[in-house]
Amino acid sequence: MIPLILKLNIRDNKNKRFGIWLPLFLIWLIVLPLLVLAAPIVFLIALFLWPGGKGRMIFYSYLAIFALIGNMSGTKLDIQSKGSTVYLNLL
Amino acid sequence: MSEERKKILEMLAEGKITADDAERLLVAISGENKTNAAGNEKKVMPKYLRVMVEPSPSSDNPERVNIRVPLKLIRAGLKLASFIPKDAQNKVNEALQEKGIEADFSKLKPEDLDEIITQLDDLSVNVEGKETVKIFCE
Repeated sequence: MIPLILKLNIRDNKNKRFGIWLPLFLIWLIVLPLLVLAAPIVFLIALFLWPGGKGRMIFYSYLAIFALIGNMSGTKLDIQSKGSTVYLNLL
Repeated sequence: MSEERKKILEMLAEGKITADDAERLLVAISGENKTNAAGNEKKVMPKYLRVMVEPSPSSDNPERVNIRVPLKLIRAGLKLASFIPKDAQNKVNEALQEKGIEADFSKLKPEDLDEIITQLDDLSVNVEGKETVKIFCE
């Protein structure tokens, strides 16, 4: 599933805190239509470059972008070191 | 009482089978039922790879790491990794070899990952030293 919200919390060694809830669904509303619109152009470029071998890379990389975006949900990162903390959660 | 059980007891009452035969048949039926019940329980596939690094109780190092990565994301990443140019792959492999890791990640395929996940499902990797490292699927 596409991540809809990014939760990020950072605390540095001076105990300064920074937290943000980023509504990713608003970003996807802009980015995903652009990716879909760019698809025919990318596929055409891939087709022209296919004999050289780079077309295959472009084609599958482009498809992989969708796979990566679609499977990012659930990623969680929590790192604590001396005095500082980084917490990231994709919901 | 199940139909089969009832029939066996009736056959025993009528004298068609001996008590030993009846017992054997009843044991066979109960075994069959257990197998069917186990077959109905679906094995839940893990969704996430979890890596946890915690300091040992004696250590004063406060560093902790807790990472949860969806396995689907790793699969998608592996597909993408196979399209990294060979020059870059060689550089990665050289850097790994310098660190003492003899592995060629360009040869790692999504099918291999599935096998690793299947193995990790039944196994968790615990490394204890200054820190405790736990790797498991959930």
